[in-house]
Amino acid sequence: MKNVIVTKNLTKKFGNLKAVDNVSLSIKEGELFGLLGPNGSGKSTMVKLLTGQIKPTKGNAIVLGVNVLKNPIELRQFVGIMPEQENPPSFLTAEEYLHFVAKIRNLDNIDKRCNYWFEFLEFNDQKDILCKDLSRGTRQKLMFAQTFLHEPKLVLIDEPLINLDPIIQRKVKDYLQDFVKKGGTIFFCTHVLEIAEKICTMIGVIYNGKIIYQGPMKDLKKKKQHLENFFLRLIKEA
Amino acid sequence: MFEILESMMKEEWRIHSTMFGGLMFFLFPVLISIFIFIAALFLPFIQTILTVNQIAILAHYLFVLFGLSVGAFGLFGREVMNRRFGQASMIAYSSRTLPVSERKIFLNFFIKDVIYYFLFWILPFVTGFAVASPFISVSLDYSLILLITLTLSFLIGLSFSFLLSTIYVHSTKLLISILFLFAILGVLASNYFYINLTELLPTLSFFFEPSINKIIIPLIFIIISSTLSIIFLKVDYPEKKRRFKNSFDTLTNKLRFSKYSCFITKDFLDLNRSEGGIGKIIFSFLFPLTILWLLLSVFLKILPGVNFLIMFSIFLGVISSSIYNWLTEFDLFTAYSFLPVKVSTVIKSKLNSYVLINCISLIILILATLVEKNPYYLLPAILSFLTVSSYSLAVTVYLTGLYPNILLYNAKILFVYMFSILPILLVLIILSIFNPFYLIASPILIFVSLHLINKSFTKWDNWEQPSF
Repeated sequence: MKNVIVTKNLTKKFGNLKAVDNVSLSIKEGELFGLLGPNGSGKSTMVKLLTGQIKPTKGNAIVLGVNVLKNPIELRQFVGIMPEQENPPSFLTAEEYLHFVAKIRNLDNIDKRCNYWFEFLEFNDQKDILCKDLSRGTRQKLMFAQTFLHEPKLVLIDEPLINLDPIIQRKVKDYLQDFVKKGGTIFFCTHVLEIAEKICTMIGVIYNGKIIYQGPMKDLKKKKQHLENFFLRLIKEA
Repeated sequence: MFEILESMMKEEWRIHSTMFGGLMFFLFPVLISIFIFIAALFLPFIQTILTVNQIAILAHYLFVLFGLSVGAFGLFGREVMNRRFGQASMIAYSSRTLPVSERKIFLNFFIKDVIYYFLFWILPFVTGFAVASPFISVSLDYSLILLITLTLSFLIGLSFSFLLSTIYVHSTKLLISILFLFAILGVLASNYFYINLTELLPTLSFFFEPSINKIIIPLIFIIISSTLSIIFLKVDYPEKKRRFKNSFDTLTNKLRFSKYSCFITKDFLDLNRSEGGIGKIIFSFLFPLTILWLLLSVFLKILPGVNFLIMFSIFLGVISSSIYNWLTEFDLFTAYSFLPVKVSTVIKSKLNSYVLINCISLIILILATLVEKNPYYLLPAILSFLTVSSYSLAVTVYLTGLYPNILLYNAKILFVYMFSILPILLVLIILSIFNPFYLIASPILIFVSLHLINKSFTKWDNWEQPSF
């Protein structure tokens, strides 16, 4: 399996704060990599660095063979990104927003693609509502749909399940696992450890911007260690 | 009571100071003082063409307009604030989660606005004038009176605007009827009773003849308008979900001549579906144009040699560049940053939308030529409009990128903006006084504008997007 994400000494400083500190990691194709960490540990900054939304202070990343620093737009053509906080534009309806994203990405069969997601995430009856009037959960469904609309090989998602009801959460978890089985790769940020434990194949733990652990999920399972206990111990020791 | 006000003041300060640094925000009123100081030094020269009365009328009405526009932001600006900061994060919205009434919050918000604009606009304005007073042989007493009357003029505009917005929330029809009634009364008063409307402003009569009696009328007006606004305050947190048929595809198809059709469509839908709809463009664009028309009509009668149409076209060019500010109000780049879109692509799309909407300005200019029955000057008028419009826009884009409504509050940026535009306007006006046809050469500046816009693309692509 080839590496789809490789970073070397990736560092991002905001003033005096080192949000990401000398991170070197590699993630192989077909992995569901969970980046775990407490609030403010640097998870969202990592996603932004890996997709060229912000520039690193030091170091670089190669994602899908593309130099992120040099070609961020080219990279974002190929990957799907689901940000944690960004809302879809206020005055487009849910359907119009997906069409807007599809046009930006130059996709064909726009109606077919969009309708699949409205059906799958069960919000067909809300597709003509303005994005600003949608509930938080529906907005999250919409952002999830835009992430996968162009059938990317790699997706980077930041807390994708937090506002979803248990029925849709289950569907999304199954979808993510299925996506990986079919050869896709997922970089998944969360602090909900139960979800990570169930679906991730690899985990990394980030604390104060530093990766303090990286390894396969099956190693923990072999040792019959609960992720929650393992994580808390790591943070305490760090 | 005072805790809320204190917190709102802190919030206002932190919003602005985190955007561009405390020092730059602090320098903003200093810059206003310097501008007014310089302008006041020219008063003796201005007095050779304008009387003191005319200057006073102009200054006081400008502050009424300023108050109206600040209040209008309360009418239309809620969506902007929501997008930028999120409802829950602003104290103004805390009545939903804390045991504080809407009225109390609104009253504090009103007082905060008055203090903030007094300290950051009115006081620096009068200070600039006061410092210049000894150099132009004007008594310092004038500055004190000016401080009172300009503050009251601002408050008249602000409280009237809040009253109108309160009426608007209750009934749009009632608001339109009241405005219509005012217009009819105005026409009747000036045409049949020969009342000079410009001198009706109560703060003006106090300015000319200060007395306790004369200050009571504006105070009563301000107190009544504000009290009515607070008593009848109605804050809607709309629960209804607005539904629309998909008009995105049809519009994008119609605009397919542009490679930015999907962005232009989005801009159009944003403008059309947001609060105030087309009304906010009328308020921020056509309203100042009407005022400009009236002011030019009055003042150019006493300025022989200045061509009305050319002056109108030059100022139309400056005002029309504010359309760009509206177009950038509806989204932040962070909404695109996870898509394969460059900052320059979004700027280019906004420029495309701007060109389309600015056709209205061109039509207005042609209509103005017809009304003035002066087609002879149409060519220099159109060329000077296009030049000023493109140049002002280029300067705005270069200095502020996608954030003109935020970055123009940065003292340094405002300073560069003013000094990039004002001298050019002055040169064009002086040239037009010699001969309006000299302005046929003005499009040379369009090349400068294009160069500046091209430089802007590189500049803003390399700039790390802030999270305002």
